[in-house]
Amino acid sequence: MPFSELDTAAVARTLSQIAEKPEDVVDAYFERREEIELPPDDEGPGLRAWREEGFAIRLVRDGKTWLATRDVVDGRPFAEAVRQVARALPSATYPEPALRPGPPLALAAPELLDFPAAVTRAVRNHHVGFPVRITVRRHRRWVQVVGPRLVPGAESETFYSVTAEMAWGRHGGLFARLDAAAAESVAAATVSLFRARQSSPPERFEGAAVLAPGAVAVLLHEAVAHALEADVLARGGNPELAVGVSMAAPTVDVLDDPSAAPEGVRRATDDEGAPVLRRWLLRGGVVEQPLADALWARTSPVLVPGAGRRGSRHLPPGPRSSHLELLAGDTDDADLMAGEDRSAPALFLPEASRGTLDPLSGAFALHLPFARRLRGGILAETVGPCVLRGRVADLLTRVAAIGRTSVAAGAGWCAKGGQKMPVWATAPMLRLEGVTVTPDGTPD
Amino acid sequence: MAPSSPTAPATAAQLQEILVSLVRRGWPDAEVLMKRGRSRRVELTTFTETSAFTQEQAWAVRAGHHRGSFFAGGTGEPHPDGPWPEPSGRAVRIPEPAPVPVWNEPSDFDAPLIGEREGLKLLESLGKELAAELPKARLLHAALEDGSSESDLANSRGLRTRSRSRIATLYLEAAGPGRPEITASLYLAAREARKFHPPALARRLADRLAVLAQGGPPEHDTGEMLLAPPVATHLLCALLPLLVGAKAATAMSGLRDHRGRIGSPHLTLIDNGRLAGGAFEAAVDGEGMPTREVLLIDQGFFRQPLLTWWQSQTTSGSPSGCTRRAGWRDLPAPGPTHLYLKPDPKIPVASLLGAVAQGYYLIDVTGSPRLDLTENRFALPVCGFAVQSGRATAPVAGAWLCGKISQLLQNIVGIGRDLAFHPLNGMIGSPTLLVSGLELRKG
Repeated sequence: MPFSELDTAAVARTLSQIAEKPEDVVDAYFERREEIELPPDDEGPGLRAWREEGFAIRLVRDGKTWLATRDVVDGRPFAEAVRQVARALPSATYPEPALRPGPPLALAAPELLDFPAAVTRAVRNHHVGFPVRITVRRHRRWVQVVGPRLVPGAESETFYSVTAEMAWGRHGGLFARLDAAAAESVAAATVSLFRARQSSPPERFEGAAVLAPGAVAVLLHEAVAHALEADVLARGGNPELAVGVSMAAPTVDVLDDPSAAPEGVRRATDDEGAPVLRRWLLRGGVVEQPLADALWARTSPVLVPGAGRRGSRHLPPGPRSSHLELLAGDTDDADLMAGEDRSAPALFLPEASRGTLDPLSGAFALHLPFARRLRGGILAETVGPCVLRGRVADLLTRVAAIGRTSVAAGAGWCAKGGQKMPVWATAPMLRLEGVTVTPDGTPD
Repeated sequence: MAPSSPTAPATAAQLQEILVSLVRRGWPDAEVLMKRGRSRRVELTTFTETSAFTQEQAWAVRAGHHRGSFFAGGTGEPHPDGPWPEPSGRAVRIPEPAPVPVWNEPSDFDAPLIGEREGLKLLESLGKELAAELPKARLLHAALEDGSSESDLANSRGLRTRSRSRIATLYLEAAGPGRPEITASLYLAAREARKFHPPALARRLADRLAVLAQGGPPEHDTGEMLLAPPVATHLLCALLPLLVGAKAATAMSGLRDHRGRIGSPHLTLIDNGRLAGGAFEAAVDGEGMPTREVLLIDQGFFRQPLLTWWQSQTTSGSPSGCTRRAGWRDLPAPGPTHLYLKPDPKIPVASLLGAVAQGYYLIDVTGSPRLDLTENRFALPVCGFAVQSGRATAPVAGAWLCGKISQLLQNIVGIGRDLAFHPLNGMIGSPTLLVSGLELRKG
């Protein structure tokens, strides 16, 4: 751990000098990040490595935040930064605690080197072959939060991001491990894009849609998690008023549980040092516990901290989800695909490339690189890029059935507010009735 | 104005020590960048107010030999002994030093960063101006960042440069009156935060909110299209694959007409890394190569693409310093700095509007453009006004401006004097354009 030798007690004592009011939030956030990337063969330079460390000092008082950040971990800049955020005695001199981060690690990630070839082999196992440009990156992050009274344990995360580029499309994914399953996941996605490359987008479609776990993950992230972030709710009014609102079908239970995320990205505390919790976002389709950080938790007893995340020390934390779970239902996958009326038209949505939510209007769009028609519950022809559209409150009430097998549903990047963060999900398949899917492309 | 200051002796010695260490390891192609910066950020949301002060200090190294190379970057100060990754993949290209023409550093590089109170006051005044322009409209999110930085660059070929930069950005998101609330956003860049003009920005946001709230799309219409700078710059940015790099000339050749023109005589396109007052004004680019003005399209005739020193070794055209390096984390990459359509100083926008017998005045974009170079087609979601006899008759929203790329370039019939830059892929600038032969479709 790079921060095992920080004098956290001295840091806490210094911070306590600027926390003048009982309701003040004051903390120091120490961060080290390391990323190593193997670019595609045809790109120079070869291995790329980024290593950074620094800290942020924050004071929150009466809804106002003061933040001072540095790109170095050392006593003098620390004292300077404390002086910059202090309100009562801005010209005071603060003690310089001993801050010695651990030495840098060797810039090597041998596990990256074999991955592009593993994907190529996995693609061939699907009896096809085409050029794919693979970029693979290892992300490591160590975090130590120190408050004036509490010093939670240090946290660390390690995961991998992979981008596959082809002439007809692009696929990206995040993985907790860079193993054969990850290679097969990338290969399967690229093969699907290859096979769908000449498919035309469908005509405007109204009917049932069956979402595979990967598409469910994006749906949950946009339509449930973003919609229930305290700062997003505040754009439309008082966030606590969302609690108790029926937002989805009664069969829908959605949680955010960072402690149940895949090994390597599992967390016990958030980026503000607050313990994470198994947070019921929706229980029985009803909003129970919006996502909140320390700042928003100060505004209402209904909002509980533990979901504060920050993409960088240079930006303040905000309420965000980490690992979403849609609890499994009781429908077999085959019944889910068939629906009650087997003759009714339906689409199968294997994956989503991105989703968007307008928090004020609730308008939601899930962009799909391709889809498959379902005929009598059987997968039929592939259709090209399309968009599942609707309003959140309406769309989630159209959940007709939930699969009984939950799986790790992939993960992706969320870039809300310019803070890029990984998000993870566990979900089963889902059937929506009476939804609208339109072609994704230029206008009529 | 003063010439740019030289690298401090201690920094020069540090750069030299690292270069020597890299070369001794058997990596003759080496480059070291050291960068320091500071910025003030103030942000208002519906319920929160944030003030942040950031000091950054970082470095980046590219090094290798003919069999492979690496890139490493980090915060703090680099150590001559690394640790460094093992070179792999392709070799790295490092430029030879080139003479840098005289350039005087703008005096506003030394202006102090905006203060916390001053910044918050600017954002608050934007909110008030917006409410005055459009009652019940409100700012949802406003973020102002004002920063400055100094970079020292050295490479194993003997290149040594120092450059400073100064830039401020402003992001605004507002909601209009009515239910459901319509939102609109702006993202702007200028050299200094004090150059943002709250009344003008509030007016622009209010116009857009009003149009989006009241406007509807036409089913399918043609006519003369008056494209305000935000619309024209987004189109120009989408055309960058035709303008930047070694493959640009080939891509552009398909758009030539029988006289060899790719655009109307009104179309003159320039990139200039030294543009006076520009947000990215600098004497050298991200690899230390001298910047200059390059004429890419001259009165409709394509002259050359924008080329870096290494692209010009295999492509016809003179190079310019057009390698951008947004931050220490970024690898150098070719791209425009200030790419703009030359305005006509004699033509006010009002006279272009007056010339529209039947058509549309498109004031802003509402999404990303779609461009298909192989099919020679583009589409851009837009909003604005329907125009009859030079007068706005109805707001238009939910519409797409569509047509052939060649038509867009060839059918420019008028160009205004109101050159404005937008931070897109580099600073992209355009005055208002009057274009015929395009279509407006329902989105």
